[in-house]
Amino acid sequence: MDIKIYESEQLKEKLYYKKMESGLKVFFIPKEGYTKQYAIFATDYGSIDNVFVPIGEKAPLEVPEGIAHFLEHKLFESPDNNLFDKFSKLGANVNAYTNFNQTAYLFSSTKNFYESLSLLIEFVQNPYITDENIDKEKGIIAQEINMYMDNPGWRVYFNCLKAMYNEHPVKIDIAGTVDSIQKINKELLYKCYNTFYNPTNMALFVIGDLSFEEILRVVEKSQKNNYDKVEEIKRIFPVEDKKINTKLIEENMMTSAPIFYMGFKDWENGLRGEKLIKKDLVTNIILEILFSSSSAFYNDLYEEGLINSSFGGFYTGKESYGHSLVVGESKEPKKVYERILRLINEPAETLLWEDDFNRIKNKAIGEFLMGLNSIEFIGNNFIDLYFSDFLLIDYLTLLESIEYKDILERYNRHFTEENVVLSIINPLE
Amino acid sequence: MNLKSERINIGNGIHLNLVKTDKFKSNLLSFYFLRPLTKEEVTKNALLPLVLKRGTDEYKTNLEIQRKLEENYGADLSVAINKRGERHVLRFTVETVNGEYIGNKEYIYDVFSLLKSIIFNPLLEDGYFKKSYVDQEKENLKRRIESRINDKRSYALDRCIEEMCKNERFSIYPLGNIEDLASIDKNILYSHYKDIIKTSPIEIFYVGDYDDKMVDYMKEMAVIEREDIITIPREQIISGAKTKNMVYDDLDVNQGKLVLGYRTGIPYEDKLYNGLLVGSDILGGGPNSKLFKNVREKESLAYYVSSTIFKYKSIMLVDGGIEFENFEKTIDIVKDQIEEMQKGNFTMDDIDISKKSIKSSTESIKDSIFLISEYFFSQILSNDNRSLEEVLEDIDRVSKQDIIEAMSTLTLDTIYFMRNTKVLNK
Repeated sequence: MDIKIYESEQLKEKLYYKKMESGLKVFFIPKEGYTKQYAIFATDYGSIDNVFVPIGEKAPLEVPEGIAHFLEHKLFESPDNNLFDKFSKLGANVNAYTNFNQTAYLFSSTKNFYESLSLLIEFVQNPYITDENIDKEKGIIAQEINMYMDNPGWRVYFNCLKAMYNEHPVKIDIAGTVDSIQKINKELLYKCYNTFYNPTNMALFVIGDLSFEEILRVVEKSQKNNYDKVEEIKRIFPVEDKKINTKLIEENMMTSAPIFYMGFKDWENGLRGEKLIKKDLVTNIILEILFSSSSAFYNDLYEEGLINSSFGGFYTGKESYGHSLVVGESKEPKKVYERILRLINEPAETLLWEDDFNRIKNKAIGEFLMGLNSIEFIGNNFIDLYFSDFLLIDYLTLLESIEYKDILERYNRHFTEENVVLSIINPLE
Repeated sequence: MNLKSERINIGNGIHLNLVKTDKFKSNLLSFYFLRPLTKEEVTKNALLPLVLKRGTDEYKTNLEIQRKLEENYGADLSVAINKRGERHVLRFTVETVNGEYIGNKEYIYDVFSLLKSIIFNPLLEDGYFKKSYVDQEKENLKRRIESRINDKRSYALDRCIEEMCKNERFSIYPLGNIEDLASIDKNILYSHYKDIIKTSPIEIFYVGDYDDKMVDYMKEMAVIEREDIITIPREQIISGAKTKNMVYDDLDVNQGKLVLGYRTGIPYEDKLYNGLLVGSDILGGGPNSKLFKNVREKESLAYYVSSTIFKYKSIMLVDGGIEFENFEKTIDIVKDQIEEMQKGNFTMDDIDISKKSIKSSTESIKDSIFLISEYFFSQILSNDNRSLEEVLEDIDRVSKQDIIEAMSTLTLDTIYFMRNTKVLNK
């Protein structure tokens, strides 16, 4: 068997890998002494993949907003209607999530891991979707959407995305809207399923005090092999202008104080693998230097009562989009916004000191190492990085290789006034 | 791995708890201060950690503290204020990367000394806390209390408890009251601080690898001046409905939040308590529960619906997010499901599934450095000397009869509903 092993002496972790004949990629990190086991079976398919050429067809299809998430809910159906029962009887805790880029099915267990793994693979690979159970789901998901509508943090975030992006589907709510999900039907769900749940588009990651051989045996036995071979799924993304959509979105809702998201739209996109992750790390280091609780800026505004400890900045980026967000709660969000604009107009050399860089880099190293205590942290991040062509086990080495000059270069290109937007949620009058 | 905590008395009302493990890539040190949950001191208790975090004798500003933490590989400092039953708990924690991953085993002392400085050597001006820090943190605390409303689900749960237990200390919100803030100043807060340091029971937890030198250091950290140590009374347990009311909040929201508050009357020391835990899990624990199946899957009324036991106070809350007009329908289903359980209409499979689920999440504690310390801390709070293995065995021993008996104690006390009459009347 052609098993590949990656080892990091520094992390004291090993990663096992095998590509199955079906095209499915299987990864495993042993965690000796851990009580829990965790498996995550994910497809490289999220809410942004809403225009694509369905498998076996030629023309692109635009699907209703929220369909990837809807499909995630529907895969939990089975003819005997007792999938949750089966996991529960094994003592495993099953769940799933959909984000912009992936749909992931997962469970954690303390016993009966291999039986649960087999169950996970089987249910994800054997959809059972009926008109009846689709209707039922519409009511449940409508309540999920309503729940998010009442969440000021979620609303201010999506308004910020809407302000930044003109066309890119990252601006669309992951669950869709109560209206858009009404257009979802069986045929569309199966088209999405058949296209994106092909094993070549999927990865399985397992972590715990387990054996890779046994994992492979279970995968071999449980997986379906009669799939159409696909070379590459054609996903169509609209051409996203470098320009932002609109400068400001303000809304009122039931909340205690104004909250804001300020977004810097990234236009250096199109990267994957190490280059993408490096850009991510570099940008996050800059944001930490400028806005974290150890920055002069944070402490000045805190003392003035303009921000509280919810203030901070972070970057997130994938191949087709990226943005830095500076967020918080403030009596006067527009004043904070002005102060940030004033700050970024200063030359990089006077804002980003090498001492600060070294300190923040140390912090990033420590935080990553501490994150490795959690098997869920490892699993979820592994999948996220993997679908961007990067292995988690190389993360620390990449982080350590970042140099001071990297951040100066990136700063000057990313933090400008042209690509900035502001989203505010105000309390009701 | 069998979890063990060694508990050493190192001073008047001060205990050091050591959990030795090399499983993690970090170590954790926590100081817990125990207080009674009372209207008189709740707001001062809540304000205190915020002020202490602002500056110490050695590190005078937040900026200096944060930079020190970052230099030390992003050591994570957190303070928390929680209620555990009718106790108010102040926690100060640092978590640091294990020295061997960064080639420096000594730096941990730097981080410990910073924690010590935050708790025991605050920045003083003319013998009291610095005025501007106190004033700013009063404002921040005020805003935090106001922001309760932003998380509608937990707000609804809190509101139900407030109404249900309005004559009991358990109704006190752990971050305090805005009205109290005006009367608190740097002098009052400082004398309260002195009182807390001198009179509170203190539990110190360390989880990670250690040697004698480190233990000595930790003992040294807690050498402080002490007076008579307070005793905190155990919670009042009430059986049967007390307030019997229906409470509505009219807010501008999209989703209704329903909470049903039940009295169980079963103290955690009681043998029947485990039956209650399993019963509540069968009712509304996970995706296999009665409520999930009937309220969500069968009737598609809700995205979330669940039931939770509040250990120290012996109450159970059922909560769900629903359309406004489904208020009565949902209540009927919940009542029906509880009745069914009281009649014994649940299977051995249901019991087995819930036991597995409870045991699995209890056992999972072993994989989290923070949960290990929290687990042993809660054992101390409830005077529970059982090992984790014994706790699991006791869950296993729960019989169907235990569950029926436990569920039969449930009395509906308060129904809380967050609604939007503007939408309802449309």
